[in-house]
Amino acid sequence: MKAEELDRSKLAALIDHTELHIDATYGDIRRLCLEAVKYGFAAVAIHPVNIPLAVKLLEGSQVKVDAAIGFPTGAFTIEGKVFETKDAIKKGAEEIDFVMNVGAFKAGNYGVVMDEMRAIKEAAGDLVTKVILETCVLTDEEKVTACQIAKEAGIDFVKTSTGFGEKGATVEDVKLISQTVGEETGVKASAGIRTLQDALAMIDAGATRLGTSAGVAIIEGLRE
Amino acid sequence: MKKQALARTIKTGIQRTDLTEDEVRQAIEKAKQYPFVAYAVDAPYLELARELFEGTGVLLTAPVAYPLGGITLETRLDQIAFAIKVGADEINASLNFNAIKSGDFSTVLDEMKRMVEAAGDSLDVIVIPQLHILTNEEKLRLCYVILEGGCNAIKTNGHGSLCRPEDITLLRREFGNDLSIEASGGIRTTAQAAELLELGANFIHTSTPYSVLEDAE
Repeated sequence: MKAEELDRSKLAALIDHTELHIDATYGDIRRLCLEAVKYGFAAVAIHPVNIPLAVKLLEGSQVKVDAAIGFPTGAFTIEGKVFETKDAIKKGAEEIDFVMNVGAFKAGNYGVVMDEMRAIKEAAGDLVTKVILETCVLTDEEKVTACQIAKEAGIDFVKTSTGFGEKGATVEDVKLISQTVGEETGVKASAGIRTLQDALAMIDAGATRLGTSAGVAIIEGLRE
Repeated sequence: MKKQALARTIKTGIQRTDLTEDEVRQAIEKAKQYPFVAYAVDAPYLELARELFEGTGVLLTAPVAYPLGGITLETRLDQIAFAIKVGADEINASLNFNAIKSGDFSTVLDEMKRMVEAAGDSLDVIVIPQLHILTNEEKLRLCYVILEGGCNAIKTNGHGSLCRPEDITLLRREFGNDLSIEASGGIRTTAQAAELLELGANFIHTSTPYSVLEDAE
């Protein structure tokens, strides 16, 4: 999608409205869900512990419940992440954002990385899966390799960042990921997207989903 | 304070997103030169660490819900079962901060009890209240809930935060010796560690133990 073709509802449909703060309250989750319904965001991205509340609040709406799995380090066993994924789905999660095993990847254990992605994809069944690479700790070459593994594993979106790393999404990374995965795999730019200008730059670079906690300000920034 | 004596109060470990197995191996071999109390690694490296620390007496610490505390009770219990399976000695469990900040202490108490029950005799349970995100009132209330839930040990803060000396004083004054306090968060020097121990911390948890030991005799 080209940025200049966007109206408010089209832009909102690209946004995962995110609340992952350690000190978020039930009130923050409630506000997040109500805003998501009001603006028509794609999903609310939350920690698994908040899924039951979000499911209740979003009942009857089109907004998906998106669970953050393996957060924020991704340093878990395959069995651990699969358990967490299944548990999230049992509680009502409809999309799965999981952090790649970055340590195994860095060590060149691509077999482990692939097995993990396939196992989570299988556990998620028909639900949308997004793998977070945590691009700020990867070289460009590593980003490309990780994208290729994700694509081969059938993951639906490659996502840049957890929001807990040193740095979030960059336009360059989104371009690189988009060029590598092609059109069949989505690209989610996340972390550090705070303004309409940031959002449009990411979309122009090839992002097909945006993870941000500034969704309301971003939409309000666009002419009606 | 002597280096060896200070090391006997230190719990440490290595946890990072992009950490490789080789780095974990090297870090553990280096750590074995000191009589540290305990060592923490992330789940993929627990079995390796168990093997490498064999016969040293260093306790193996497994993380649970670390550091954000945003996982479900069921996933917590799964992580505890895994910690038992790999032979960890203790867990560092982040609490359900979303519940705490919402004033929902009954959920926190319930989760506390379930975790203690799951740990049984196999694991010592140390919970992380992340004192830096709590008000003084919340700190005290939470520690009463922790004790009521059958746990008597806390690690004050998580990665990237700062342990405040006044928090050690506050908790020691309120709970006396009922609560074991592991001071954690931004402890980098011998002087910092000495101050926190002096104020009543039972242990120092630091990811930089060698800089903490540097100015000790």
